[in-house]
Amino acid sequence: MRSLRGRLLVAASVVLAAFLGLTGLTLDGAFRDSAMAAVQSRLQAQLYILLGAAELDAFNRLTLPQTLPEARFSMPDSGLYADVIDSQGNLIWRSPSLLGRALPFFPAVRNAGEIQFAPLTSSDDKPLFVMAFTVNWEISVNQYQIFTFRVAETQKEFLNQLWSFRKGLWGWLLAATGVLLAAQGLILRWSLKPLRRVATEVKDIETGQRAELGGGYPEELFPLTANLNALLGQSRAHLERYRNALADLAHSLKTPLAVLRGALDNDARPEELRQTLNEQLERMNRTVDYQLQRAAAAGRIALSAPLPVAPIARKIQDSLAKVYASRRLRLSSEVAPSTMFYGDEGDLLEILGNLADNACKWCQWQVILRAYPTDRDGRAELVVEVEDDGPGIPAEQAPLLLGRGQRADPTVAGHGIGLAVVRDLVEEVYYGRLDIGRGLLGGALVRARLRFQANGS
Amino acid sequence: MRILIIEDEAPLLERVAIQLRQQGYAVDTAADGRNGLYLGQEYPLDAAVVDLGLPDLPGIEVIRRWRAAGRHFPVLILTARGRWQDKVEGLEAGADDYLVKPFYIEELLARLRALIRRTGGWTQAILNCGPIALDTGAQQVTLLGQPVDLTAYEYKLLEYLILHAGTVISKTELTEHLYQEDEDRDSNVLEVLVGRLRRKLDPDRTLNPIETLRGRGYRFRLERSTG
Repeated sequence: MRSLRGRLLVAASVVLAAFLGLTGLTLDGAFRDSAMAAVQSRLQAQLYILLGAAELDAFNRLTLPQTLPEARFSMPDSGLYADVIDSQGNLIWRSPSLLGRALPFFPAVRNAGEIQFAPLTSSDDKPLFVMAFTVNWEISVNQYQIFTFRVAETQKEFLNQLWSFRKGLWGWLLAATGVLLAAQGLILRWSLKPLRRVATEVKDIETGQRAELGGGYPEELFPLTANLNALLGQSRAHLERYRNALADLAHSLKTPLAVLRGALDNDARPEELRQTLNEQLERMNRTVDYQLQRAAAAGRIALSAPLPVAPIARKIQDSLAKVYASRRLRLSSEVAPSTMFYGDEGDLLEILGNLADNACKWCQWQVILRAYPTDRDGRAELVVEVEDDGPGIPAEQAPLLLGRGQRADPTVAGHGIGLAVVRDLVEEVYYGRLDIGRGLLGGALVRARLRFQANGS
Repeated sequence: MRILIIEDEAPLLERVAIQLRQQGYAVDTAADGRNGLYLGQEYPLDAAVVDLGLPDLPGIEVIRRWRAAGRHFPVLILTARGRWQDKVEGLEAGADDYLVKPFYIEELLARLRALIRRTGGWTQAILNCGPIALDTGAQQVTLLGQPVDLTAYEYKLLEYLILHAGTVISKTELTEHLYQEDEDRDSNVLEVLVGRLRRKLDPDRTLNPIETLRGRGYRFRLERSTG
């Protein structure tokens, strides 16, 4: 069973059929019982009428009048029959309606006051309900004679009644089942419509007719569609970044290549050629490094768990302590254990690593890593700061170091490509801002503000 | 000084090995992780240069296994990707420094020298012990400010002794750290070398910088004057 609709339909139909079937059986049984009880009480009433009409004649014989209160006893084949048997089993009287046939043998009732009832068949194989009542008749003073009065009725009427009830009952039940199943099918169709819509829209995205899923989904599906959209947005952003990085890379490699070709054409002296070669190789290497690291940024990951910042800062601190072991620096980090980063661990390592590495290069002996969350215009932000006690960065040099306005060719000496990579990560991937200022230790303070909700919901 | 290089790119391995040998290091090379792992576990190394992107066994894994086996020589990792994630992973696995490819050979040499100095407890590039100063960068030795003329082997021997100044070093340890695998390892040569060093550093026989501990080895006995 691979379709949700199929499963729901089958399950609901089975439950519905079982419920209605059991209801029908119960009603059927109840009706049958009450119809049977009605037959019994009718026969009992007839018995009492017969008893009332019976008399003893002059020879102390039991007789019944020629015309009985119930006319059907007098009409042959009327469907209502009666007879009287004495204690020896001799037939004493039988109703005119019994003309030509006899009531079936009935287990003898010998105890006075007893009533028995049973469905039996007559001598000509007609189904009957028979009721027998044994009485102790006082013939004379202290002389009693036992008689058994029997009344019988054909089952035809009972069966007709039952049949017409059943016809009605099962007819209505079947009709109700049909209506309910149809309603259920419609409800399912209506409820599952958003799922079909998702499927169609995803197909449209595959074929490129659509960029993302539309809105207006029910609340159960909304998290799914929202996250799917976030994933789509993320992969689009990645693609865009790769494309840009590739284009930038190609463009920025053209310049050194042109310079090299020019140097070859100019018949320069070997040392000059060597010098040019060296410079341009260095430049190409920086460019490749820079663009590679830019393209490697993962960005905010949809569906990612928040990442505690403290262990990551600790990793950078330990790593740098090892690399700069001979300088005996005092590296410290001030990050609360609850501070979280919503993105790729590699990106945060890159930001912290580059900033802290720069700080280590320029500091005298002290570097502090700091991270704390802030709330800006209702948006969660993570602020990452790295401070050192070095000479600091003059305000007029800061834009140059950050490579603002010179996108693809970061050739600032000293700070390497680190700051430019961090700037790109912070500003283009995390929609934040990178600032350079002066810290309390007297040296540079580089502050990165990272935002997390820009490409989410 | 004995250095192991693990690098799968043959031209680069060749180039680095030649440069290091020219600098007087004894160099062992491996082109893959398994070989390198074995050499690092079996040989008395002073440092290792490990490329992270090896074909069979990742460089990180090699370092991890060395550290797990109790091998503590300093390790410099080479990585083509400059991502901090790789650097941090390498340093966490037990490496001591990293170098991003492509690199200048001078940079590699400087980092290696610094790492080796660090294991001896030295932080400066110039090792000062009393009147004797050894400049690891320029590979120059001065006595009371006057340059001392040493052969390559004499310099190597003195550098090793001063780096481990104060500790006793056996003849076996010295030969293992100073000579390549395929070189002649006659301990008489070592004695001759030590004798020549003594004459050059202590012509008046008053300083006695290198003492001989019979049956145990040699010790550079002058106090370190800088850290």
